[in-house]
Amino acid sequence: MPNTPILEVRNLHKSFGNLHVLKGVSLKIARGEVVVVIGPSGSGKSTLLRCLNYLETPSSGEIIFQGEPIDPRTNLKQVRQEMGMVFQSFNLFPHMKVLHNVTLAPNLVRKTASKTAEEAALELLDKVGMAEKAHSYPPELSGGQQQRVAIARALAMQPEMMLFDEPTSALDPEMIGEVLDVMKKLALEGRTMMVVTHEMGFAREVGSRVIFMDEGVIVEEGTPQELFENPKETRTKEFLSKIL
Amino acid sequence: MEFRWDLVWSSMPTLLSGAKLTVQLTSIAVFFGIIIGTFAGIARLSKGPLRFLAAAYIDVIRGTPLLVQAFIIFYGIPGLIHRPIPAYLAGVLSLSINSGAYVGEIVRSGIQSVDKGQAEAALSLGMSNYQTMRHIILPQAFRRIVPPLGNEFIALLKDSSLVSVIALEELVRKGQIIIGRTFRPFEVWLAVAMIYFVMTFTVSRLVNYVEKRMNVNA
Repeated sequence: MPNTPILEVRNLHKSFGNLHVLKGVSLKIARGEVVVVIGPSGSGKSTLLRCLNYLETPSSGEIIFQGEPIDPRTNLKQVRQEMGMVFQSFNLFPHMKVLHNVTLAPNLVRKTASKTAEEAALELLDKVGMAEKAHSYPPELSGGQQQRVAIARALAMQPEMMLFDEPTSALDPEMIGEVLDVMKKLALEGRTMMVVTHEMGFAREVGSRVIFMDEGVIVEEGTPQELFENPKETRTKEFLSKIL
Repeated sequence: MEFRWDLVWSSMPTLLSGAKLTVQLTSIAVFFGIIIGTFAGIARLSKGPLRFLAAAYIDVIRGTPLLVQAFIIFYGIPGLIHRPIPAYLAGVLSLSINSGAYVGEIVRSGIQSVDKGQAEAALSLGMSNYQTMRHIILPQAFRRIVPPLGNEFIALLKDSSLVSVIALEELVRKGQIIIGRTFRPFEVWLAVAMIYFVMTFTVSRLVNYVEKRMNVNA
């Protein structure tokens, strides 16, 4: 089924108490697409991403991954193995060496033999330019380095899709480039990615589609060119005029 | 009346044999206390009905004196089950159950001190709740709770003196026995205090050492 989207979201709602954060979001992502989600703070874009792998449980709506609805009682763990996630605050495991951070999940979850997992991990660390630090502990690394390791850690599970939740927002400006470069490399390899970011340069250059969210809904979506050069909605125009 | 150092020294062998029992009781109780406390701490943070059971255990034990708990186990329960509980077992039981409640609170706070992002990262990789707890949360939590656990060990070392009331010849009971023979309370209690201090001081140094070694990474 080449035309089936890898991910489909149908009418997703999420409330935290009285706060209605997502108000009916629907979208489809095709294999190989790089979807960039932009929007003001509090627009619900991170919440949307966190609902996709059920770090937040949606209040209502449906998420269909690889043709199957996600159900926390049955297939959630399998789904999470196929959906790598990169966090704003890296969330590396500080008590484990970099290499161990990358091999842990393949070892425990995929039951990959230690040696195989290590070889694969070193290859991935090399890919993100962190092979030299394989035997360091995360707190010894800079933010940019930690985030690159976090990307390698997510890739080690050989996921079908990668989620990036503001991966450069916690970084010093001079380190943003090194992380975006790695992400760009992944995009060029044809990986399916969904990226929540404030990096408009990245969205414009790497995104195959850009989604603009505001107040819990998708206001507008299109190719980077359509959205950045020729936004149709007033809210999109206002947002872009503030940040560009 | 002059102070008799010779009595302090001559009581030592007997007192040290009591101290041996004190250390034994305390070590066993801390061991089981950590096991019980880990389960209680995790259960308190769980979502199931176990949460209420753990909370009740912790509240009741912390809200009643160890002395009374020891009395209930040694004098009360045997009446219920129609057979005696040996003093040693009763001592270990009351100290372990008591320690478990305090350790439970320590473990709970340790788990809560680990950033939420750690669990999220582990879960997002497809790890189970158990794997996340076992490999990610607990190792980090335990590093942080070494100091309060050390304090608990020291507190228990001292509180174990209370089980002297159920005929266990630990350090305090040995002291009482010697006083019964010699009528020299000052010398003997001083000797007892010295031994307690040496024990607690050693433990606190040990805890400091472990803490420093663990802080090398993370």
